Amino acid sequence: MKKTKTIFQDGNHKWVAIVRDPDKPNYLIDTNEYLVTHGSQGILLDPGGAEVFPAVFSALSSEFDPSALSAIFASHQDPDICSSLALWLEFNPKMRCYVSWLWSSFIPHFGGTADTFVAMPDEGLDISLDGLHLQAIPAHYLHSSGNLHLYDKLAKVLFSGDVGAALLPPGDDGLFVENFDAHIRHAEGFHRRWMGSNEAKRRWCERVSQMEIDMLCPQHGAIYQGADVQRFINWFDGLQVGICGS
Amino acid sequence: MTMTTALTTRPSKAQQAGVDLLRIVRINEEIKAVVGVAFRINIMALNAIFLAKRAGTAARGFGVLSNELRVFSQDLRDGMSALTGQIHGCVTEVSVVLQDIRHTALLRQAVEQSPAACGRAVLAARELENDRHTERLARLRKQLRAALDDAFRMVELGGVLAKSAKIEAAYGQSFAVPLAQVSGEFDGVVEEIRASLESLRRSAFFTGN
Repeated sequence: MKKTKTIFQDGNHKWVAIVRDPDKPNYLIDTNEYLVTHGSQGILLDPGGAEVFPAVFSALSSEFDPSALSAIFASHQDPDICSSLALWLEFNPKMRCYVSWLWSSFIPHFGGTADTFVAMPDEGLDISLDGLHLQAIPAHYLHSSGNLHLYDKLAKVLFSGDVGAALLPPGDDGLFVENFDAHIRHAEGFHRRWMGSNEAKRRWCERVSQMEIDMLCPQHGAIYQGADVQRFINWFDGLQVGICGS
Repeated sequence: MTMTTALTTRPSKAQQAGVDLLRIVRINEEIKAVVGVAFRINIMALNAIFLAKRAGTAARGFGVLSNELRVFSQDLRDGMSALTGQIHGCVTEVSVVLQDIRHTALLRQAVEQSPAACGRAVLAARELENDRHTERLARLRKQLRAALDDAFRMVELGGVLAKSAKIEAAYGQSFAVPLAQVSGEFDGVVEEIRASLESLRRSAFFTGN
């Protein structure tokens, strides 16, 4: 079973990271899921693949009533992002799935109906969660051609999908980045290969530099917090991406 | 279905659905082969009609039977086409059952691992839906079996026509040899179809063994 860790809480406004399943088979990439709750509602960010659904569901239900999940946010279309969609919909068939317009007719192959999907435009979208305003911000070509991240201005938390992801070696399973220089070595190859556009990367770095961010939460690896957030943005800005091989 | 029953029957259900899918694919291939053979009868019957015309009054009975065989081949193709439609329905339903099994296994695992077995009602609803799909598959299976029986009876009639044609060929005077050859081919082809359908009726997809 995965662990849950509350990474932000202010009254009934909460961010919960669902991470690190010791029973996960090694052939599946490890993923982080994030639950944002506000009032009586919750939104699950990148809910994960069908194979990890039992682990994510059981961890989530220890914190929150899964039938009260009102939405899913899919940063992009990959199977490790949302191939569990049909299973989540079993618990609340009225749940909405926010996804880039580019993928809004592709992701239904994972499940859902025409009413399930909210196609987010390229410029992003404000998402309301029981009165809380979350901002879906553009991150196209990082890595997917239709890619969005989710910013919570109140909590100062940015869910950054694959940006900031690191493929950590076994045993290196801390939830937060402890030593930036040591950590970033596990992120470098991933970003060089997966991120497709230097121009898109530069725009993203400019945009997020202007935002107040206490925590940058990727879908794989550890969370950057405090000064490590800007350190990461600077590092990413200077990295040449879209490169295959050494 | 109770959760206990579902837990004990799940592995065999998954295996059964996988095996069912393979069996239905084999049945479909066999039916495609029968449709091809039925088309051959149509051509053979057309040739036989011309031959009977040339033989004149001596082969009048043979000509009538050749016409009947041509009608039979068309009926058989129509019957096989309907069977193909039913098979597609079965393939779809078996695929749904396979998907149900995977989803239910993941849901069950999630419910069992979650505190206070959260989501039992959702799992129960899913299992009810699965039962509906299984029942629908059982109905389609019965309909397919009935359609195969109908086709088999039609082919038995075709066999009678082919054998009658063989008898009529003997009265064909100077055309007796070529008529006998054609009626022998009819008989062989109809027998081939009959054997195919007989083996399909015995398919474990219907007997469940």
